[in-house]
Amino acid sequence: MTLKNPLPSLLFGAACLTAIPLTVQAAEAPAAAPAAAPEAGAPPSPAAVVNMINNCYACHGTDGRSPGSIPSLTGKNAEQALLQLKEFKSGQLSATVMTRHAKGYTDAELEALANYIGSNLK
Amino acid sequence: MSKITRRDFLRIAGAASATGMLGYASLARATEGGKGSARVVVIGGGFGGATCAKYLRRLDPSIAVTLVEPNAKFITCPFSNLVLGGLRTMDSITQNYDALNKKHGVNVVHDTVTAIDAGAKKVTLKSGKTLSYDRLVVSPGIDFKWDAIAGYSEKAADVMPHAWKAGPQTLLLQKKLKTMKDGGVVVIAPPANPFRCPPGPYERAGMVAHYLKEHKPKSKVLILDAKDAFSKQGLFLDGWKKVYGDMVEWVPAAKGGAVTAVDVKKMLVETSLDKHKAAVVNIIPPQTAGKIAIASGLADDKGWCPVDPKTFESKLHPGVHVIGDASIAGALPKSGFAASSEAKMCAAAVVALFKGETPAENSLVNTCYSLIAPTYGISVAGVYRVTDKGITEVPGAGGVSPKDAPDSFRENEAKYAAGWYASITSDTWG
Repeated sequence: MTLKNPLPSLLFGAACLTAIPLTVQAAEAPAAAPAAAPEAGAPPSPAAVVNMINNCYACHGTDGRSPGSIPSLTGKNAEQALLQLKEFKSGQLSATVMTRHAKGYTDAELEALANYIGSNLK
Repeated sequence: MSKITRRDFLRIAGAASATGMLGYASLARATEGGKGSARVVVIGGGFGGATCAKYLRRLDPSIAVTLVEPNAKFITCPFSNLVLGGLRTMDSITQNYDALNKKHGVNVVHDTVTAIDAGAKKVTLKSGKTLSYDRLVVSPGIDFKWDAIAGYSEKAADVMPHAWKAGPQTLLLQKKLKTMKDGGVVVIAPPANPFRCPPGPYERAGMVAHYLKEHKPKSKVLILDAKDAFSKQGLFLDGWKKVYGDMVEWVPAAKGGAVTAVDVKKMLVETSLDKHKAAVVNIIPPQTAGKIAIASGLADDKGWCPVDPKTFESKLHPGVHVIGDASIAGALPKSGFAASSEAKMCAAAVVALFKGETPAENSLVNTCYSLIAPTYGISVAGVYRVTDKGITEVPGAGGVSPKDAPDSFRENEAKYAAGWYASITSDTWG
């Protein structure tokens, strides 16, 4: 794919800045249901990231290697993957189903998924 | 985010195996009371069971996994409607267990579990053998309530096939469509909720209509529904109208759709308001969890299995996990994709429990494609989390394909439906 936004690092930086106050809020309100607030929350644990990425494999193939018409998840670095995931979430990047999926994850989760994709899916 | 990759982790784990893994194995023994490496038996080799067996081995190769499945080959329900439409062959929807065994080291046993002894932690097989386990995963799919419609029975399904378990029943329904005369009515009768594959009966209506439009254009598809609403309803109704005109008619329960009786000799289908003479009848009976789940006391009085949404461990029998269509999984539908997602979360939880750890947070997903015509696809997606209300859908995410999408969008979703099938079947059995 073609990257529309040439400044992925800026996005990354902005996400880090917003993550701090949100984490504080979450700590102050521990009773809040974790699923109801896609913008809040700390980074997921490594095992939780594995749980998330394993779901991706049903459509994108085990370890992100797709045997059919759905794109593979391999061959992207973390910045490219994060930019794409965030643009799916915002709707800037059009897609059939990924726009609907990406909205189900916090920015911190998308970042962790992007790091996993960049580091592990070759 | 930790920069330790999975590969690094495996390398570290490998290097530490001489000491660390021994400690780990003894912990597993201490926790689960077994001998040697931890043993998991998985019952059922469908989307749930096969995925769970594979991912248990991927997540922890020290676990001995035995998969018990009666059939040497597995014919998938997903895409069996495409066989009826003439888009696919049975061969192309037939999977086998070679890779699970050879590539992933799963011990595949082709036998049937006749009894589960959750107290003694063992299962009995039809062959007379017994298998001991430290944890059991039950993924038995569905069974039918044969007596729900007067005149219908397991024997009546030879005349009015359900075709809701793919295989000989799919071929029987296909044969009946091929031998019917042009101008006849094909009745499809979906059950009330909950049932396996909520959009399935409606995809079937489109695929049958596709076949009839090409070969028997004076014929009709009549959906006599036990419900007043169904999955992707707006998209299906629009799509049928656009592609098939008046060929597909849907009658909701409120307008007398619910089938109360059938007469297999006269090929009559009776509802509260009407009697319909049909050329082909497809009765999809109401369902329960698969037989072994009922027989071993894993199901509630409605016939489905209550589980802890964090681990899919049975609320009725500790040490036994239930996944797939048989489980009560909150907002998740009874789909092959949901079974796969549940299987992966269950596998991760089992691995954590063996280590004496708290399972990581679950993330559950569903994506179901349906075809209305060969180049007309639609989808529903959902992202789910465990909250204090059980498994709930993340608000604002998921949903169905847009209502007013261009033809190119529908074409892409038809293309991705085929890609979905290739991916999920290789992720499950490959």
